[in-house]
Amino acid sequence: MAFIKKTATPIHCTEHDERHTERDFADLVAELGAENETARRWAVRDLTPLPDASQPLVARLAYEESASVRAAILNALAQIGDHAAIAGLIHCLRSEDAGLRNEAIEVLKAIPQHVEPVIHTLLNDSDSDVRIFAVNILESLRHKDVEKWLIDVIAKDPHINVCATAVDLLSEVGTERALPALKQLKIRFEDDPYICFTTDLALKRIEDGSQ
Amino acid sequence: MKHILVIDDAATVRLYHRGILENAGYSVDEAINGIEALEKALVKPYDLFIVDVNMPKLDGYGFLKEFRRQDDALQSPAIMVTTEAGGSDKQLGYMSGANLYITKPIKPNELVNYARLLLGETL
Repeated sequence: MAFIKKTATPIHCTEHDERHTERDFADLVAELGAENETARRWAVRDLTPLPDASQPLVARLAYEESASVRAAILNALAQIGDHAAIAGLIHCLRSEDAGLRNEAIEVLKAIPQHVEPVIHTLLNDSDSDVRIFAVNILESLRHKDVEKWLIDVIAKDPHINVCATAVDLLSEVGTERALPALKQLKIRFEDDPYICFTTDLALKRIEDGSQ
Repeated sequence: MKHILVIDDAATVRLYHRGILENAGYSVDEAINGIEALEKALVKPYDLFIVDVNMPKLDGYGFLKEFRRQDDALQSPAIMVTTEAGGSDKQLGYMSGANLYITKPIKPNELVNYARLLLGETL
């Protein structure tokens, strides 16, 4: 069982002494629910290197109201990067809390090596908002298949906003390979001014870039 | 001339909204997230805000909540334009201080009509 180095200070007093109190895994999990925000943040930090830390951190994330503790948990999950941690971060994409969703997107963008194995599942999620967030995450994935995935999205996804988000990104990363799918999308949503606008922009950027 | 601040992290969306609103005779500035929007809105009075929901650093709800807390700021109307059509999202939008909550994609005449409505202009 892992322990944190001990000093003689009592538990639950100042902001500085929380970390120096001897606590095992179970103590740290309990401390995630402490009233003191600083104590919770230290508990997150001290749990992070321990085995099986992801699940209690994910569980706490659902109730954590402090922005700084929440940020600490999200960063801890990104650092741990195991299955439970990534699943917890992805679950945040379904949160009612827009702040949490956006923080999770930013964290997921920063760990492409962990996101890559699940991106295909996210791009095919039944929830169109999750698919939009998946496209947002692709923006920083720097993977050789990003363009191919985006082309698949605009060719197959039935939701106009998912396609629009993918076109926005294709206008930045797309090559001549994307041109047929972009033209087809414009036909599929010919009545929508935004799709026509963004598709024309992407077509122009790609065509100008290839000359 | 009325001043409108378009807040969206997607450059294409900002360009689209800017084009529509400038064609309708408004002056338009842009912000890429809620933080930049707050910085701009606290130094320049805007007559209307067009606000996206999902943005990094500070989302649309957060921007409106924070902006509405500023006593000395001109409390101009805000249109929240988002991909999320869920009832709870809409409720949250109004609770945060939005005056209208519109789901993307939005047609040019809709955006102009809503803007005119909230600016008290004749349609």
